[in-house]
Amino acid sequence: MSDGDTILKTTDLTKRFGALTANDEISLAVERGEIRGIIGPNGSGKTTFFNTVTGFYEPDGGSVHFNGEEVTGWEPHRLARRGLGRTFQIVSPFKNMTVRQNMLAVQTDDGRSREEKRERVGEILEFLEIDHIADNEARGMSGGQQKLLELGRVLMLDPELVMLDEPAAGVNPALEERIMDHIHELNDEGTTFVVIEHDMHVMKTLADTVSVFDSGRHIAQGDFEEVSQNEDVRKAYLGGTTAEDDEVPV
Amino acid sequence: MSGSAPVLDRLPGDRRYWFLALGVLLLAWPFLFGSFWARIGLGALMWIGLAQSWNMIGGYAGYLDFGHGAYFGIGGFAAGIAMVQFGYPFVVGFALAIVVAAVLAYLVAVPTLRLTGAYFAIATWALAESIKQAALILEITGGTFGLSLPRSPDTFIGIAVPFAISETFFYYVMLLLCAATMLVTYVLFERHEFGYRVKALRDDQDAAESLGIDTTRVKRQVYVLSCVVAAVFGSVYAWYIVFIHPNDILAPIVTDRMVIMALLGGLGTLTGPIFGGLLVFLLQRLSSVFLGSSTFYLPLIGTLIMITVLFAPSGIIGILRGEIGRDDVRKNLKELGEKFDLL
Repeated sequence: MSDGDTILKTTDLTKRFGALTANDEISLAVERGEIRGIIGPNGSGKTTFFNTVTGFYEPDGGSVHFNGEEVTGWEPHRLARRGLGRTFQIVSPFKNMTVRQNMLAVQTDDGRSREEKRERVGEILEFLEIDHIADNEARGMSGGQQKLLELGRVLMLDPELVMLDEPAAGVNPALEERIMDHIHELNDEGTTFVVIEHDMHVMKTLADTVSVFDSGRHIAQGDFEEVSQNEDVRKAYLGGTTAEDDEVPV
Repeated sequence: MSGSAPVLDRLPGDRRYWFLALGVLLLAWPFLFGSFWARIGLGALMWIGLAQSWNMIGGYAGYLDFGHGAYFGIGGFAAGIAMVQFGYPFVVGFALAIVVAAVLAYLVAVPTLRLTGAYFAIATWALAESIKQAALILEITGGTFGLSLPRSPDTFIGIAVPFAISETFFYYVMLLLCAATMLVTYVLFERHEFGYRVKALRDDQDAAESLGIDTTRVKRQVYVLSCVVAAVFGSVYAWYIVFIHPNDILAPIVTDRMVIMALLGGLGTLTGPIFGGLLVFLLQRLSSVFLGSSTFYLPLIGTLIMITVLFAPSGIIGILRGEIGRDDVRKNLKELGEKFDLL
């Protein structure tokens, strides 16, 4: 079912909520090692797609393949242990625990000893430059630090694929830069990313390929320049405006 | 830091000496103060242990269990039935209490832990009520007559004990059970990764799932453990009190007390149920002894709960840590509502 280099493949993936079709037969393939961006207006079905792929929603049709294996309808924790990590639009640290405890809560099937796990926590916190607050309660962290902690927790899974839902939302430009650097660094080491982001500057610098969603459908795919010139994409964002200088809104 | 460490850290001097002094006091208690205070002590220890058992599912996992007291009664009746109906020694009844509570808790956990917030609270309350009604009509439980248990005066597990089975003996049994409950809570919920996973699912179940935590399995484990602990206390209580009746050990007030103790002491903390358990139990006993009314403490407790919920949602532990949000009543209510998934 999967090509040699395809890490994630959805075929006609459909999710309905009553009369609303949030994802309408979405077929999409993500190659191993790429950074795939997903853009689209609010309500276009991007987060629903994440939730359906990662097992939070039961699909009404279609299939999901991860690493060549059909994983349609798998429970989220099972997918996570297989190496499919994700973050959420709204940051959700376990606020009554310390940063280190947040990381240690992550459950894997890799047979690491307790010491090895603690060592790995130290490495990741150091990589993300938040090791100095390892024993602080998560509730006291800034929004940006919470984003980094969320990424750190996902890295505890040693994921092959990470799906990030708006990683740069609500963070200052300096931290945004840091988060992007971390994503690039991890990508250079072989981790594949699928990123939802509204900030087109981030998308332009981050994504190798961009998929565009509109009204639950996957309407276009290509590099950033290509999709920003695409007529359907312009219509989706600007309601039919076709002015020459218009770009997909930043 | 989470848990109770900051409170314990505030003790002056070396903490080990405080623990040692407390240990010596608890061990010498019956000999220092006599049988009346041994009875008070064993009651306090039992309620602290029960409050901690509720705290496992209610405080650490965030599931508002209003049927927890049923397992106290199930433990009592399992031991009672083994001893009265089948003539087994207490130790068999004790083992039976553990097995019955574990099996029933698992069977209950499968459907009810799919519910959250008020729905889970209502489902567990209804379950407890139905168990009580069943115990009132079944012959094996003694129905409306209850069960009178035999007491073997000089043996425990068939071995002769150096002193008669008395308040003092039961005081030490409760002390052992309470200490074991505290130790299990400390190791599992405060130090082990299992505890971090329990707190993770309480704070955000979706995030926990996305991090590889099988939240369904973890919830069931916590629920079964907490119910077994309640049943263990129930079986010893039945042996101690000799006569058990569904209207007593299966009464809703048993659960209510556990909830109140954990809430007043501090939800999801190791030492909260100790403070809450002591406060509520002593208020009840003292009002009974000095004011001649065992229900006088109820309005007092009601007032304390209102104050706690509005101004100190982290309970006595929160007050000791200085977390009193006097100006932030809305935030306090919101936090508590979120903790139990009620919003």
